[in-house]
Amino acid sequence: MSMSFSEFKKLLGADPFGREPETLDARNSAPEFEQAAATAEAFEHKLRSALHVQAPAGLIADIQSISQQSAERRNWMPFALAASVLVAISAIGMVWKQSQELAQIEAYLADHYSVDGDAFIARAADGVSEQAISKVMTSLNAAAGQELSERIQYISFCPTPEGRGAHMVVSTPEGPITIIFMPDTSVNDGDLVEFDQMHAYLVNLEHGSAAIIGGLNQPVETLKLVVKSSLKTGLVDV
Amino acid sequence: MTSDTDRTSRFNELATAYSTDLYRYAMWICGNDALAKDLVQETFLRAWKALDSLKDIGAAKSWLITILRREYARTFERKVPKFSDVETVVVPDDEELEPDERAERVLLRKGIMKLDSKYREPLLLQVVFGHSCAEISEQLGISKSAVMTQLFRAREKLKILLQKDGVTGNVHELF
Repeated sequence: MSMSFSEFKKLLGADPFGREPETLDARNSAPEFEQAAATAEAFEHKLRSALHVQAPAGLIADIQSISQQSAERRNWMPFALAASVLVAISAIGMVWKQSQELAQIEAYLADHYSVDGDAFIARAADGVSEQAISKVMTSLNAAAGQELSERIQYISFCPTPEGRGAHMVVSTPEGPITIIFMPDTSVNDGDLVEFDQMHAYLVNLEHGSAAIIGGLNQPVETLKLVVKSSLKTGLVDV
Repeated sequence: MTSDTDRTSRFNELATAYSTDLYRYAMWICGNDALAKDLVQETFLRAWKALDSLKDIGAAKSWLITILRREYARTFERKVPKFSDVETVVVPDDEELEPDERAERVLLRKGIMKLDSKYREPLLLQVVFGHSCAEISEQLGISKSAVMTQLFRAREKLKILLQKDGVTGNVHELF
């Protein structure tokens, strides 16, 4: 059964370049069919031309970079993992080292204070001269500013975890407080340690550190600014 | 390492073969240049991740179109794209055209943009990707006869637009 012109136009509308045998047979069956096919094809060229918009420059390269980026990420992955592990180990190591250092200082302060703490506080009642303060401080390549020196009631050399330091007793409204100056020892600024009903506030200085020691009811940290601003360290490069 | 190289090479071949047509398709379904580029990028990003699941390279075109259509549907759920005037988003052609031809093309492009998506999508699949009616039927999940009807109607609407007054016709009254 031959195809009607109406059916043929519908076929053309659905697929202008259709090459099925029945479409080709119909196209060649009469001039009006052939004319309709030619018109449909002409329209199709316009349609294709209208739809043929240009893609942005570099689109293909941008898309291809997806695989490159992914490959680079994969290549870096072992190094990134290794670096992460290394950082984690370093962090754990640093924390462990710091905790070890803090334990070491705590042990030192406890030992030292148990031997000399109370005894030196007792001697503070006699007072100390400017020259005596200056002599100890100069030996340690340091100096006590006025705000600190006028409070110092007692000063003497003392052992520290790393070399020689100074043991001072200062007067405060809350009673005598001990300051241990450790010229060659670093601490974590603001760390607080406790031992034998005492507590010590650690202050890191430009060179070395200090421990401000008092009874648990004494606000030792209030001396932090005085120590930081008045205890001058590393005066001469050695 | 070799499989990585093969994978990259396979992906790059797909990008070379299909990204331009996918952009055109995306451009005509969303009418927004920036969104079209994003859609194509996202399509290939997903394709890269799922490349190993593509067993038959001959099915790549349909596979990519499916990814893009899903991505567009997801985007459309989140935010309805603003349809731009086609002439502001279509990159100017290098082709030399007579003024009448240029005006006719502008009108045709506006007409395509105004087509309902049920007519526009099969038309795009056929013209941009060269899909057969059977392939469009499979891609869109509708019967082949429905595809043929929609293609016929799409073209009729556009032809009427051009026949009415190719240069001065009002595209809005036809859709």
